[in-house]
Amino acid sequence: MTQKGVELQIKQLEKSFGHLAVLQKVDLNIKSGEFIAIVGKSGCGKSTLLRHISGLEKATAGEIIQNQHSLDGLNNQARIMFQDARLLPWLSVLENVGVGLGLEQGWKERAQWALQQVGLENRAEDWPSILSGGQKQRIALARALASNPKLMLLDEPLGALDALTRLEMQSLIESLWLEQKFTTILVTHDMNEAITLADRVILIEEGAVKMDLPVDLQRPRNRLNPAFAKLEEELLGHVLGREQVDLLEPRLRKVEN
Amino acid sequence: MLNEKSGSIYNRLAPWIIPVLLLIGWQLFTMNESVSGSILPPPFEVIRTGISMAISGDLWTHIYISFSRALTGFVIGGGLAILIGMLNGTYPFVEKHLDTTVQMFRNIPHLALIPLIILWFGVGEESKVVLVAIGVFFPIYINTYHGIRSVDKGLVEMGNVYRLSRWHLFSKVILRGALPSILVGIRYALGTMWVTLIVAETIAASSGIGYMSNNAREFMQLDIVVLAILLYAILGKVADSLAKLLEARLLKWSPVYQMKK
Repeated sequence: MTQKGVELQIKQLEKSFGHLAVLQKVDLNIKSGEFIAIVGKSGCGKSTLLRHISGLEKATAGEIIQNQHSLDGLNNQARIMFQDARLLPWLSVLENVGVGLGLEQGWKERAQWALQQVGLENRAEDWPSILSGGQKQRIALARALASNPKLMLLDEPLGALDALTRLEMQSLIESLWLEQKFTTILVTHDMNEAITLADRVILIEEGAVKMDLPVDLQRPRNRLNPAFAKLEEELLGHVLGREQVDLLEPRLRKVEN
Repeated sequence: MLNEKSGSIYNRLAPWIIPVLLLIGWQLFTMNESVSGSILPPPFEVIRTGISMAISGDLWTHIYISFSRALTGFVIGGGLAILIGMLNGTYPFVEKHLDTTVQMFRNIPHLALIPLIILWFGVGEESKVVLVAIGVFFPIYINTYHGIRSVDKGLVEMGNVYRLSRWHLFSKVILRGALPSILVGIRYALGTMWVTLIVAETIAASSGIGYMSNNAREFMQLDIVVLAILLYAILGKVADSLAKLLEARLLKWSPVYQMKK
């Protein structure tokens, strides 16, 4: 049951659409079971990088090595959560989770188990259309979990949720990750979320890795911890550029006092 | 409680208020000979004719023949339309070779083909079935094709990422996504089906409701002519209700149908 997550080496990965270079020589090593957050402004290429790891996009140059094998085509080990839940409205909640198992024989029990993991086992027979946004994303999470993935790709899955639901989902994702130790890559524009969850935060700017920031804080992380605030400030500084952060600093200091 | 109940009975009866009022008006209008029976017979006479034809069995023969022509043509034309619509919607290769041809044929009014069809198939059953099949083909084809093309790309991508088999990807994602649109095509085609059949039976047939009406015209049997018109209205309504029922069953996941409880 507790197989380890995959190991990834991204080597000199490049992607361009016509003349537009979206990724430029990205190098990144990800250890088995590590939780990585990728942050950056919108349009910086962070989602494109994730789509390459899932195998949905083909690189212009460079390669991705997963457990010593070069990736080609769809990544069998990876499961993605998208920003929208992408549930099939004509299937019940349980069947939607079963999609994560390809609806192959014997999917039902496993799907029920996955629904329990996200605490929605009592909604198994409902149609997705009557669920709230947060519940839909939890179903999508169950669908991703059902096949016992070794690589979880999260493409801003909490971006459309309200603040409270987002906090709940963050701790759910963290506890499932701690339990199952799948390698996780989270793309987000929320610095606070990145520092809450990730072992390492990667900042991407104009298609290249600009910063690789380890987060050595104890889990579960306390957002009021000064070290947390300092990391968030540092990260924001890099994302926005120095001069803008000077404007923010007085406010940040006030929070610390 | 009582109020609620009578409210629901009223809701059930409401759609029929206007048809019944029309009937009453028709009866009052024609009863006192203010309109000659050779222009519009009173409804009672039409009903009497209907009953006597039902007893003699003529009526059922005509209805049965028209109905089986309609159904055969509908199944053949609709089946082909769904098949070709799916192929065109799924495979760009097929679409490239087939769509232009289909669009050219679509713009020919299918009733303009009647002389040709009669020359080819004679005045027997085939000509009617072929005409109905052509008539229902295009509305169902267009809506199937459009339905397949407009299936949410995100859902298809999700299906690919989750490694659904080709069959599951088609049956659980693409087909189910296209179904609402296909059903719209079917409901629309039911209308075309009757129109085509009436015209075909009026022009060249020796049985069926259209023939019954046209034959009665020659003998100035206005009650039968009006009876035929009423029959089309009833059969059309029945077909539409069946289509609605099918929709409610197949689309029960949709919020539109969940609210209607």
